[in-house]
Amino acid sequence: MLQLDNIAVRFGGLNVLTDVNFAMETGEVVGLVGPNGAGKTTLFNVISGLVRPVSGRVVFDGRDMLRAPLYQRARAGLGRTFQIPQPMHELTVRENLRVAQRFGRGRVDEARIDEILDFLKLRPKAQADAASGLALSELKALEVGKALATEPKLLLLDEVLAGLETHGKRLFMQTLLALRERFGIGILIIEHDIETISNLCQRVCVLDFGKVIADGTPQAVFEDPQVIKSYTGGAAHA
Amino acid sequence: MTELILQSLYSGLLVGGAYALIALGLALVFGTMKIINLAHGELVLLAAYVAYTAESQFGLNPLASIPFALVIVCASAVLVYLLVSRIRVNRELNSLILTFGLGIILTNAVLIVWSANIRSTSSAWLQDAVVLGPLFSMRSEVVFFVLSLALAGGLWWWLSRSWYGRAVRAVSSNRDAAKLMGIDPVRTELVSFVVAGVLASVAGVAIYSSSVIQPALGHALTIKAFIITVLAGIGSMPGVLLGAVLLGVTESLTVTLASSALQELAGMVLFLLVLFVMPNGLFGGARRRG
Repeated sequence: MLQLDNIAVRFGGLNVLTDVNFAMETGEVVGLVGPNGAGKTTLFNVISGLVRPVSGRVVFDGRDMLRAPLYQRARAGLGRTFQIPQPMHELTVRENLRVAQRFGRGRVDEARIDEILDFLKLRPKAQADAASGLALSELKALEVGKALATEPKLLLLDEVLAGLETHGKRLFMQTLLALRERFGIGILIIEHDIETISNLCQRVCVLDFGKVIADGTPQAVFEDPQVIKSYTGGAAHA
Repeated sequence: MTELILQSLYSGLLVGGAYALIALGLALVFGTMKIINLAHGELVLLAAYVAYTAESQFGLNPLASIPFALVIVCASAVLVYLLVSRIRVNRELNSLILTFGLGIILTNAVLIVWSANIRSTSSAWLQDAVVLGPLFSMRSEVVFFVLSLALAGGLWWWLSRSWYGRAVRAVSSNRDAAKLMGIDPVRTELVSFVVAGVLASVAGVAIYSSSVIQPALGHALTIKAFIITVLAGIGSMPGVLLGAVLLGVTESLTVTLASSALQELAGMVLFLLVLFVMPNGLFGGARRRG
């Protein structure tokens, strides 16, 4: 489904990602974790097309995507949310989804939009203005909704739970779990909360200083001494 | 005196229609590309001269010259877009220099082709007086005011109901998010330039039909459009319409009560006053992010 070969990204003289190799199967749910500045969001940007790596290959669904612009990747089935929700101002919640569906999928299916609205509990807010009428948790839900409306095969979720209070977090967590069951799409999720990752993902990939330092089941990864060291600020970053 | 003031309010309202079309085009392109097209007024001027040539060489009524103006002005708008889109570094700032230069080139091209003489329509039908109670105007002013309103209405419909209109709003609102929704930004920007060209074409023919034109007018029109856009508070379409009428009325009151030499200054004074009292524009409300 997704394959990254030898991805390297440099900003100025700084190696943000070095030799990252990573692959995902169809429908797999993988957590991407690592300390701040490890390169997680940059890796998302490489996959979705916001950042072009200096070397490496991005293959999605059998197609080489390295030179494909953002909007073509979206049409090919790569959905993504931003850490800070990015709704379309001046459009209602429903319009946000309709535009995403029309341009991402090339058609409008109101039944599917209703399904997404219901699923994300956004139905009562369907006619609200996306810029001013939503609470943070609803903005986060809309962020997922816009991605779902493009009918992605793989969804990249960047810290969708950050900033929510405990109850909101739990509710959203359930939504994400249901997302996997209901829509059967692959998910790659950046999240700091280890419990969330362990509940949601069959597999975890750990980035540190732009390198993959561990990749495996949550249990194995979170017991890996090197991972523990990187999280507790150990000196050895070999 | 009251009659004079009423009359200048009326004239200001009528000229506001063309001003609104120019400002809407400027605002549309600013929305999708975050650039200020300083050659926008010259595109309007080009349309005016196309109407002049069509009338003086081929005896066409200016209204009938609109299709020709559309083709030539929209093609020029696309050329401007192609040049602007080649700027990779710091596009917001560098495009100012580029479009300012393009404006100078266009003004001088107009000067070479059409000379510096002042031109106006010779159509008797357009210049006929239309009497509305105590108020007078030329037929062209009324015709083009109605046409401008219809076009502004059409633009509103297009922005809120058509898919490309929505795409333009989506890109204006949030470029990266729009791309993630599968919207092709290049095509959307191009569409916004072409629509701005359509609005500029009609505005140019309107100005030729109701007023006088000369090569330096383009620059003045760009400034008017810019003033209106800022008056409106960027992103507010009703604001642009009201701002355009406000500028038209201010100018015509100045001409009536003081001197026509102060016409351009009046707009600037209005602009500074509004900026001073309401920095977000008359209809901008709270500042928006993104």
